[in-house]
Amino acid sequence: MTGLAIDDAAWASAWRLRSPADKLLLSGGLVLAALVLPAWPGSLLVGLAAVVLALGPARVPARTFGRAVRLPLAFILIGAVTAVVQVGDGGLGWAPDAVTRAGGLVGHAVAGSAAVLLLATTTPMSDLLPALHRMRVPDAVVEVASVTYRMLFVLLTSLSTIREAQAARMGHAGIRNSYRSSGMLAAAVLTRSWDRARRLSDGLAGRGMETGLRVLPEVLPSSPRFVASTVVGLAALVTVGVLA
Amino acid sequence: MHIAEGFLPPAHAIGWTIAAAPFVVHGARAVVTEVRENPESTLLLGAAGAFTFVLSAIKLPSITGSSSHPTGTGLGAVLFRPPAMALLGTVVLLFQALLLAHGGLTTLGANAFSMAVVGPWAGYAVYRLVRRSGGGLLPGVFAAMAVADLATYVTTALQLAWAHPDAASGFAGAAAKFLSVFAFTQVPLAIGEGLLGVLLFRVLVVNARPELERLGVLRRTPGPDPAPVAESTAGGER
Repeated sequence: MTGLAIDDAAWASAWRLRSPADKLLLSGGLVLAALVLPAWPGSLLVGLAAVVLALGPARVPARTFGRAVRLPLAFILIGAVTAVVQVGDGGLGWAPDAVTRAGGLVGHAVAGSAAVLLLATTTPMSDLLPALHRMRVPDAVVEVASVTYRMLFVLLTSLSTIREAQAARMGHAGIRNSYRSSGMLAAAVLTRSWDRARRLSDGLAGRGMETGLRVLPEVLPSSPRFVASTVVGLAALVTVGVLA
Repeated sequence: MHIAEGFLPPAHAIGWTIAAAPFVVHGARAVVTEVRENPESTLLLGAAGAFTFVLSAIKLPSITGSSSHPTGTGLGAVLFRPPAMALLGTVVLLFQALLLAHGGLTTLGANAFSMAVVGPWAGYAVYRLVRRSGGGLLPGVFAAMAVADLATYVTTALQLAWAHPDAASGFAGAAAKFLSVFAFTQVPLAIGEGLLGVLLFRVLVVNARPELERLGVLRRTPGPDPAPVAESTAGGER
């Protein structure tokens, strides 16, 4: 357990061994469709496709997927309501087409979030970072990003352990103590991250790996059938979305 | 405050990506040169990115009852400078979109512009201003973190207002709406994060002085060679 449910789901997903490029094509296509197609019926179709694919063939736990979709929902709902409230001379009121506009906004946002989640819950970050390399992002940047990903979990564990220790000593009783403890917590995690980085680089230098962390990329071959069905499915979705 | 996936129309999503790109590329260039000169800084920069991500997992108690998460953009700007933050912030935003479902891919450009560009630069500018006008480290840190948060929140609200103008009063009305709705969470957060920064630096000045001197936050004090921070001094587990 790493503390990041989406990452756990990605490693356990049935699509874990599919080529990241294939999954990027599918999710990227769905994200674009959610953005560009009219909300009705485009967003509904994209959202349905993402949810069915994630829970069906990719076997992502419904609980994880549902929780992850719920997270951005607070922002989406507050944002959509704010967007359709009208500020006029007579104070606040609903804009004339409030329901349609709010519905459209929520539809686009929920469908887009579900499409991004389909990628996130089936593809671990470490499979996606080599794709950045192919997009001609400099090696140094990709390497910094992969160190970030790998160090994240260590720091998250430190964070929860220290927090638990603080809470056990009444460190979070009352706002004053809680702030004091949070400051110490942040400082402890920061100094630990520096310390880890230094020890890691010493260790790597001792092994002669001074030019970067070379790791063998896992070979995940692309499946022609997956790509073909993705293209056909997306084309059908766009046709229905545009014509309806 | 992250704009969710699909919340911006396509033209805005593309426009903000183009607006953020030069800053992120500039940051990437800075990182590439830095890594070429000191290969070990890959790990330090990675650690900085991981820390920025993890910082958002700290819950800040808020006076209004709800708890909110620090964004760390001001802190990163003070510690690692805004150009590096433009890149690290964007990487962290990508991770937040894919690991926490926080933010999105098509809105990455807009979020990077507000959180990795405007926030750090505004925070850093205020920090330099306070330090130059004789203010100490702690007031500078408070100002940097609070202003970085406020600048990010104002930018996001304006981005939303531009994308979704009010039916009657246009952009101005929409800006007023979004600014006031998000003020409830963002203004207390800015103050809370400023306080957290002060508490954090009070610990760091004692426990991680050599690191702060190396980063140029504190001026080097003459004396014995600074010893590296040991695990046992890492802030204490209270």
